[in-house]
Amino acid sequence: MYGFEAMTFNIHGGYLEAIVRGHRSGLLTAADYNNLCQCETLDDIKMHLSATEYGPYLQNEPSPLHTTTIVEKCTQKLVDEYKHMLCQATEPLSTFLEYITYGHMIDNVVLIVTGTLHERDVQELLEKCHPLGMFDSIATLAVAQNMRELYRLVLVDTPLAPYFSECITSEDLDDINIEIMRNTLYKAYLEDFYKFCQKIGGATAEIMSDLLAFEADRRAVNITINSIGTELTRDDRRKLYSSFGLLYPYGHEELVVCEDIDQVRGVMEKYPPYQAIFAKISYGESQMLDKAFYEEEVKRLCLAFEQQFHYAVFFAYMRLREQEIRNLMWISECVAQNQKSRVHDSVVFIF
Amino acid sequence: MEESNLSIGNGGGGGEEEEIETLRFLDSLDGYVTLLHSLSSTLRQGWLELASARHSMGSSRVSSALLDLKVQSASTTCGVTDSVDGSPSGPHYTLLKWVSSKEGKCYSGEEGSTQLQKESSSSQLRRRGLSHISEGNEEASSAASDSHPTVDNIIQKQRTKSLSVFGALVSPKLRAAQGSFETALETIVELANLRSAVLSAHSRLQEDSADVVGTS
Repeated sequence: MYGFEAMTFNIHGGYLEAIVRGHRSGLLTAADYNNLCQCETLDDIKMHLSATEYGPYLQNEPSPLHTTTIVEKCTQKLVDEYKHMLCQATEPLSTFLEYITYGHMIDNVVLIVTGTLHERDVQELLEKCHPLGMFDSIATLAVAQNMRELYRLVLVDTPLAPYFSECITSEDLDDINIEIMRNTLYKAYLEDFYKFCQKIGGATAEIMSDLLAFEADRRAVNITINSIGTELTRDDRRKLYSSFGLLYPYGHEELVVCEDIDQVRGVMEKYPPYQAIFAKISYGESQMLDKAFYEEEVKRLCLAFEQQFHYAVFFAYMRLREQEIRNLMWISECVAQNQKSRVHDSVVFIF
Repeated sequence: MEESNLSIGNGGGGGEEEEIETLRFLDSLDGYVTLLHSLSSTLRQGWLELASARHSMGSSRVSSALLDLKVQSASTTCGVTDSVDGSPSGPHYTLLKWVSSKEGKCYSGEEGSTQLQKESSSSQLRRRGLSHISEGNEEASSAASDSHPTVDNIIQKQRTKSLSVFGALVSPKLRAAQGSFETALETIVELANLRSAVLSAHSRLQEDSADVVGTS
C-alpha cells in the first residue's frame, strides 16, 4: 500500500527526479525524426543533431562519419547522464540505478567470452563492450576455459555473482553453452531486479512490476522464436523463461511446444495486452514483431512519467534513451545504404 | 560490331552464321546486365537485413569482433574447370555450398545436388548415428526426423552452424540476411559463367568478322 511518498521522497530523491524529468524533455520528438528521415547523408544527420542535446558530442567528429560513430557518441551522452545521477544518488536509489546496468554487464561478459573462444584480441573486444556494463576485472574473462573458472576468477567479485549459481558447470564453453549462460544470467537478473523493486514497495513496485513483467514476456517470445529450428531442447527452452510475468506459468507451457511463428501467435493472442501487438503483423511473418514490441514498451515507459515520487522514471528514461539511440542507428544505416524508403520499418516515435 | 555489320552488308557466305553469333552475343550480354542488376538488388537487401538484425539483437551481438579467427575449412568453395580441348568456351565456375568439414561432402551446389540425393538415400543408416547430438525428445515427430535426417535438415544445420559465431539463438532477421548473401553468392558464380560466355561469344564474333574480312 502506498500513498505517503509525497511526504518523504523529495528528501533524497527530489533533486534526481527533477533532473531525470529534465532529461526526458530532451528526447527527440516526431518533428526531429521527420527531419532526420529526410537526410541524404550522415553529415546531414550530424547537422540536424547539432541542434539537439547530442550536438556537443558530435560537433568535433570529422567527416566522413560512420554509423558506429553516431551510435557511440549518443551512447556516451547517456553514460555521462547516468554517471551523474549515480554519483548523486543515495540508497536505495543508487542500487536501483546499478540494477539498470546489469543487463549490459551480462552482454559484455558474453561478448568477451565468445570473442575469446573465437581467438579475437581482448583489446578489440573491450572496445566493443557497452560502457554501462564495464567493470574492473572484465579483461580477465579472457583466461577462463569454463563457467566454473569464469565465476571463480572474475565474476565472484561482481554484482553478477549471485546469478551464476544456476549455471555453474565444468563444461567447456561453446556456442550453445554460452547462449544458455547468457539467457540464464539474464533470467536470474530480471527475477532479482523484480524482487528488489517489490521490496522497495509503493509506486516503484507497482510500475516496475509491469515494466519488468513485459520485459520477461518479450524475452520468452524472442527465445521461443529464435530457438525454432535449433538444437535447443524443450526442457532447455523452458528453463530460460523467467518465473514471473503475464505468461507465467501457463503461457510458458504453451510456448515451449511451439515450432513456428503462427503457433507462437496462437499462444500470445490469448492474452489481451499481446493480442494488440500480434494484430499488427501478418500471419507467418515475424519481421515487424520487434517494432510492435518496442512500440508497446515505449507506451508503457512514457506512462511511468505520469506518476511522481517513484524510481521507475529512472528506468523508463534509460530505456527511452536506448530506444532513441536504436532509432538513430536505424536512420543512419538507411541513409548510409541509400534505403530511405525503409527508414520507417524500425523507427519508433517516442512522443 | 562495325566489322560484323560490314560483313552482313556485303552479304558474305558466313552472314547467317554471323547473325546467329551476334544474336547469341547480345543475348548473353543482356542476361549479364540483368543478372548484375539482380545481384545489386540482392546485396542491398542483404545489407539492410544485416542492419535490421543488428538493430534487433544489439550491436554487441552482431559485430565483426565476433567472427571466428580459428583456422577452419571453408563451408563453401568455388571450383574452376578450364575449357577442354582448347575450345573457346572459357572456364566454368561451380559453387559447392555447405561442405561438411567432417566428411568433406558437399550438400548443395550445381554438381552436388544429384550426388547428394544418392548419398542421402544410401547413407541414412550412417546419418542415424548423428541422432545422439540432439538430446532425448519426447515428441514422436521430432524423434522421427532425427532418425531420418533429410538433405534439407543437414543443410539447415550447416547454415545454423555458420551463424553460431553470433550466438546459438539468433534473430530470424539474421537468418534472412544469410539467405540473401547466399543467393548473392550463387548469382556471382552465375555472373562469372555468363561473363565467360559473353567473352567467348565476342571472341567468336571477332574471329568470324576477321575471316570474312580476310576472304573478301
